[in-house]
Amino acid sequence: MIELAKLPMVRRSLRNLFSRPATRRYPTEVRPPVDGLRGSIRFDLEVCNFCGLCAKRCPTLALHVSREERTFAIEDLRCITCGVCIDACKQHGLVMSDSTPRVLVTGAEPPEGSGPGTRLWQGEAPARPARAGAARARKVAEET
Amino acid sequence: MKRTVLPMGPQHPVLPEPLVLDLVLVDEKVVDAVPTIGYIHRGLEALVEKIEYTEMGYVAERICGICSFMHGMGYCAAVEDVMAVEVPERARWLRVIWAELSRIQSHLLWLGLGADAFGFENLFMHCWRMREEILDIFERTTGGRVIFSVNLIGGVRRDIDDDELLVIVEKLQELGTAFEETTRVFATDPSIRHRIEGIGVLSADDARAVDVVGPMARASGLAQDVRSTGTHLYDRLDFTPVVEEAGDCLARVLVRVREVTQSIDLIRQAVARMPKGDGQAISVNVRGRPSGETFMRLEQPRGEVVYYLRANGTKMLERFRIRTPTFANVPAMITLVKGCDLADVPNIILTIDPCISCMER
Repeated sequence: MIELAKLPMVRRSLRNLFSRPATRRYPTEVRPPVDGLRGSIRFDLEVCNFCGLCAKRCPTLALHVSREERTFAIEDLRCITCGVCIDACKQHGLVMSDSTPRVLVTGAEPPEGSGPGTRLWQGEAPARPARAGAARARKVAEET
Repeated sequence: MKRTVLPMGPQHPVLPEPLVLDLVLVDEKVVDAVPTIGYIHRGLEALVEKIEYTEMGYVAERICGICSFMHGMGYCAAVEDVMAVEVPERARWLRVIWAELSRIQSHLLWLGLGADAFGFENLFMHCWRMREEILDIFERTTGGRVIFSVNLIGGVRRDIDDDELLVIVEKLQELGTAFEETTRVFATDPSIRHRIEGIGVLSADDARAVDVVGPMARASGLAQDVRSTGTHLYDRLDFTPVVEEAGDCLARVLVRVREVTQSIDLIRQAVARMPKGDGQAISVNVRGRPSGETFMRLEQPRGEVVYYLRANGTKMLERFRIRTPTFANVPAMITLVKGCDLADVPNIILTIDPCISCMER
């Protein structure tokens, strides 16, 4: 018979029997998010100037920004929360949030050019046209 | 004698990833093994021609969930090499720390899987519990547990406070003390020895002949480790490769066990030797497009990985080829499986620490 002293795991196993479990009773017991967790991207409509730099840099094409329509959309199912858009934003309109997104996929038609589970923000029309060129183009379109 | 062909995989309890091995058996002895791969080939080398070089780092990180940091680091280091970018020193040290943390978590994961394969469920749970603590460190410092997204071309995205670094070192020292008990279990437990000692012996000559890398080579007595070449700041750390002579499954387990302790020590040294973080830059702006070619070598948890990168001055790279450690170790696995008992095949396959995602890319 093998002596207990020669089975080094036995002592540890006995300790484990009487120690706190290492796991939690999820989902009744949820671990609070850690500081700095890359959970989801939070967008601030107030400061955004719809320049579209974030959308240009996004490696997964999860952001859709329209300067003309002043819309900002983020596809949570595509976003990999790498943080490139946050680094790119000169207005500090994007921040990393530690809350993981609960992506809501409904039967509703997603905004044009984006996929399901898209969050869309609509900015107010600017006091002045963003670009003289855009206003001119609109005028020409109306006339024709 | 009648031969039987037994297909093993692509789904098998010991294989975390799909690999098919057609085992040709005579009675209980394996006389031949024919591997089939290609179940998770994702066409990385074609993809690299279609996306910008700045975006490729995120793809490289996703080659494998265990070496994700190392793949990101290797890719960024290769691009930095081609573009002659001088990476800030603190960023380079942070990369060393995260790389060694990756090694610890990878080895703890593997030791758990190894224990599971030789039927030691209790030890499997124990190793994975310890691994959770490393993942918690990753989560606090990078914001992710598996995919970290901290590597940038030109540095790293996040810094770690000096106080936080000291806390990490303290935590790792505690983990190291707790790990001593586990080391004793792997080294002395009679049931483990009985199961894997003397199984799947790869002699030093055979290891050299089939060009094995990483812990597999070191378990056969070859002191082969990219870290000893001194690249990526390892020349500033006291480092000697862990070597075992026996070349059997137990030696391969013990190399990894000892490397966990060694990595904890390397992180302690790195924290002591890195410049203090008071406002130091951790990244530099990289502009322009890469042109030229390079080879970049790294020591991943599974062994040496080689990145070949060729750029032609456009936004897309011309070629990006990765020789992963599993790809180098599979011929050795086939050599070892031939002549062994069927019951030992799972242990032999696992002790090469196969990562099929890495191998197929």
